[in-house]
Amino acid sequence: MKTRIREYRAKYNLTQEKLAELVGVRRETILFLEQGKYNPSLRLAHNVAKALHAAIDELFIFDD
Amino acid sequence: MKMRKALLAAVIIAVILMVALISTREYYVAIALGVEVLLVFRREIWHLARYRRLPPFDERFQENVKKAARNSFVYMSVAIVFLTLAYAINVDYVVDYEPLQVLSWLLISSGLVYLLGYIFYDRAEPKLRPPEVGRFWTFLRILGIAFGSGITSIFLHNVIGRLGVAEEPVFFLIGVLLAPAAMGVGLVGSLVFFIKGLSRKQLPEIDQPDDERIQA
Repeated sequence: MKTRIREYRAKYNLTQEKLAELVGVRRETILFLEQGKYNPSLRLAHNVAKALHAAIDELFIFDD
Repeated sequence: MKMRKALLAAVIIAVILMVALISTREYYVAIALGVEVLLVFRREIWHLARYRRLPPFDERFQENVKKAARNSFVYMSVAIVFLTLAYAINVDYVVDYEPLQVLSWLLISSGLVYLLGYIFYDRAEPKLRPPEVGRFWTFLRILGIAFGSGITSIFLHNVIGRLGVAEEPVFFLIGVLLAPAAMGVGLVGSLVFFIKGLSRKQLPEIDQPDDERIQA
């Protein structure tokens, strides 16, 4: 899984800490999400997408 | 919210138990329980002391806590079975200790198993490549099997010895030589991968699809 969270975070000038606070998770969770090392639940993916004003499939890219 | 309530309930129960244990002068177990609470809730306690609020209990934290608690429970169950076995057959180096002293060490060690498990799932595992994770679990299985077979061999050696059939060398050799050697291999191997994961700052490169393929 590849994510574009870092790119969108930079676009809105958000730090990992700030995004984590907005979504209600720990900073480490955002870190591992960005690196594609954690598969989030649909709820978390939705919350991250909402915080970054993007659609879920814009943020999370799966290679089949 | 459920997680917060569960944590709060666990701390309250532990405090009540500690007070009860101190009042019955079982200081060993009370201290062990206190150490276990500190090991299990060190993150919450540190966060409360520093930020005056509890840390976020996100889904990743909850998953890791569940896995670590499951490992700790399995360890405790297996240890209780083997300790019961050791008391049943009067293994000298176990029976020398008071059962409450043994319980204290069991509490502390299960707290350590929980803590190491949590750190592994939270920090080390995401930084290891899949084959490395596989090797880590293989070494851990070797450690567990060697520990179990060592205790079982001592048990069988003692049972056969008590029956007075004959001197029994096979289980003795397994229990005294082979099992400890295998335990050493399992312990060192799993520790190497554990520390490797913890000390790796950058995540290893993973196969990323190239941009053209995504756009196509």
